[in-house]
Amino acid sequence: MNKLFISIRIAGGFIAVGGVVCLILAPLIGEKVFDKLWLIEPLTYIGYVLIVAGLGVAVVSYVGSQIKDRSIHAMNGKNPGNSWSETTLQYFQLFDHDLGRPLRRIAGKERELRAVLQAGPGEVDAGVIDLLDEIERQTPNFRLMMSNIQVLIQLESPDNDEPLQPVEPTEVIRRISDLYTAVAAEAGKEITWWSEPAEMGLVYANSNAIEHIVTNLVDNAVRYAATHVEVKLTKNPSHFFVRVWDDGPGIGQQYVQHLFDRGWTPEVVKREEKSSSGLGLYIARSLARQSGGDLTVETDDRADGDHHTAFLLSLPSNLTAPLNGNR
Amino acid sequence: MANVITGRKILIVDDESESGILRAVRRRLEQEGWETVVVEPESGYSLGEEFEAATLWSIEQDLPDAVLLDVRFGEHRDDQFRGLGILGEIVERWPKLPILMFTQYAQGPDRETAVRGSLKWDSPVDFIDKLASPDEVVLRLRRLIGTSPESIPIGDQILVDVNARLVYIGAGEYRTPALDIQGMKFEIFHELAATWYRSPGELVAFSRLERYSEGEDPRASLRVRIREIKNAIGKGLNTRFGPSELILNVRDQGYRLVPPKL
Repeated sequence: MNKLFISIRIAGGFIAVGGVVCLILAPLIGEKVFDKLWLIEPLTYIGYVLIVAGLGVAVVSYVGSQIKDRSIHAMNGKNPGNSWSETTLQYFQLFDHDLGRPLRRIAGKERELRAVLQAGPGEVDAGVIDLLDEIERQTPNFRLMMSNIQVLIQLESPDNDEPLQPVEPTEVIRRISDLYTAVAAEAGKEITWWSEPAEMGLVYANSNAIEHIVTNLVDNAVRYAATHVEVKLTKNPSHFFVRVWDDGPGIGQQYVQHLFDRGWTPEVVKREEKSSSGLGLYIARSLARQSGGDLTVETDDRADGDHHTAFLLSLPSNLTAPLNGNR
Repeated sequence: MANVITGRKILIVDDESESGILRAVRRRLEQEGWETVVVEPESGYSLGEEFEAATLWSIEQDLPDAVLLDVRFGEHRDDQFRGLGILGEIVERWPKLPILMFTQYAQGPDRETAVRGSLKWDSPVDFIDKLASPDEVVLRLRRLIGTSPESIPIGDQILVDVNARLVYIGAGEYRTPALDIQGMKFEIFHELAATWYRSPGELVAFSRLERYSEGEDPRASLRVRIREIKNAIGKGLNTRFGPSELILNVRDQGYRLVPPKL
C-alpha cells in the first residue's frame, strides 16, 4: 500500500514537471515560429493546469498515506513516529531482555549444579538429574516462543519485505538438528537427518523463514514422537523439500483441516486448557506460502497401523540472485 | 596417543564471563581439548570501549582459532550492540577468523539480517543464542573452524585414532586397539564417527558408504562389514550390540552412529 502512495506521488511529480516544460516551451515556440504564435497562450494554460494537477495529486497522495499511517497507529495505540512493526518490536525487545535475563541465570545455575554434582563423589540421585533435565528442556521452548513472536510481528507487518540471501539448506537443517538432538535424547527419543544429495548447494531464499519453519516442525515432532524423528532434505530442479516425520500417535483426520488455523490446538476441541499458543503451524504455513512454497501434512492415527505424522515443506530453489535483491 | 584436537584456542569476549552459562561453555570447550582465553580489559574507559581495545590486542597476541563474542556489553545504551562494532573491527582486520556471536538481546531474524547485510555471505561468522547448550556451542564451533580431529572419542570407551588408523576400545590404561577393524572396515567406521562428530543426528547415506564395499551386491557386503565392526567393538567391551545400538540402519536410507550407553 505504501508503494502505491509513493508511485502516485512520483506520477504527480512527473505531471507537474510536464507543466513546467509546457511553460518553458510556450514562449520558445512563439519566438521561433511566428505563424504559430497562437500556441503560446493555450500552451501556457496547459502548463499551469498540469503543474496544479501534478502538485495536487502529490499532495493528496501524501495526505492519504499520512491518514492511513495514523489510522493504523491509532488502531494499535502506538507512536506514529515509528512503523507498526518497529514499535511492536521495541516492546518485544524489552520483554525479551527482561524475561531472558532471569531465564539465563536459571539455566546457568542449572548447568553449574550439574557440573558440581558430576564432580562430586558418589552416585547422583536420578530424580535430581531428571529435574535438571527438565529445566534444560525448557530453554528451547523459550527460544522458540521468542522467535515465534518476532516472526509473527514481521509476518503481519504492512512493511514486511524480507530480502533473499544465499542459503545452504543443508547447513540450516544441520543447525536445527544439533539443537534438538540433545533435547530429544534427554526425552529418550532420537533424531536422524539426511540430505540427498549430501550437500544441497546454495539457493537464494529467506534463510530465517526456512530455519523458523523447520524449527517449529522439528519441535512439534520431538514433542509427539514415540521414539524417532526423521528430517529429510531433497530437491528437484525447481524446488527443495524438507520432510519432518515422527512415529507419534498421528492426528485424527477430523483435525487435519484445522491444524494450520491460527490459535488452534487439539485442546480447543476438548475444551481443555491449551498446552501451546497454537501459533507455530499457522506461522510456518504462512511463511512458506509467503516465500512462494507450501506446507502440507500427511498423517495416520490408526493405533494398530504404521501411525505417524509427516510434514512436507516445499520452497522454490532460486539458483540465481533476484535482480533487485528482493522478492 | 594423539590428542582430540591439538593447539586449538578460543578467545572469549563477554563481560559476563563468570556467569554460570559462560562457565559451563568454557568447561565444555576445555573438555573438548580447546584452550580458552578470556579477554579481561583494563579499566579506564567505558565497558564497551575497554572490551573493544582489549579484544583486538588479544587477537594479535594470542592468535586464537576462533572468537566467541557477546553482542551486548553492560547496560549502558552505547554498549547495547558494542559486540557488533567489535565484530566489524575483527572482520576488517582478520576476515578469515571464525567468529561465533553469542546473542542474548533482541536477537533473531532482524538483527541477524542487518548484520549479515554488512558481511560477505561466506564470512566465517555465525550466531548462537546465549541459552544454547554447551554441546550446541561446541558443534557450531567445530563446523565454523572446520575442525577435523586427529582422534574422535565416542563416549568414554571408544576412540578412533585417525593417524594410526585404529579404533581403540576401553578406557585409560586398559585401552587396546580393535585389530579386527582395519582397512575398509576402519574407513566405514571413521566415516560414521566423523559424521557423528560433526552433527550427531546426521545419517550417512548408503551411497557414501558403498564405496568402501565391493562385490556384486555392495549393500549386502556393507551390511556384513557393519556387523563385523559391531561384533569387534562388542567383543572388546564384553557386550553384544543389538540392531538399534552403536550403528543404526535407518529405514533403508543409510547408517548412523549412536554412542553406546555403557
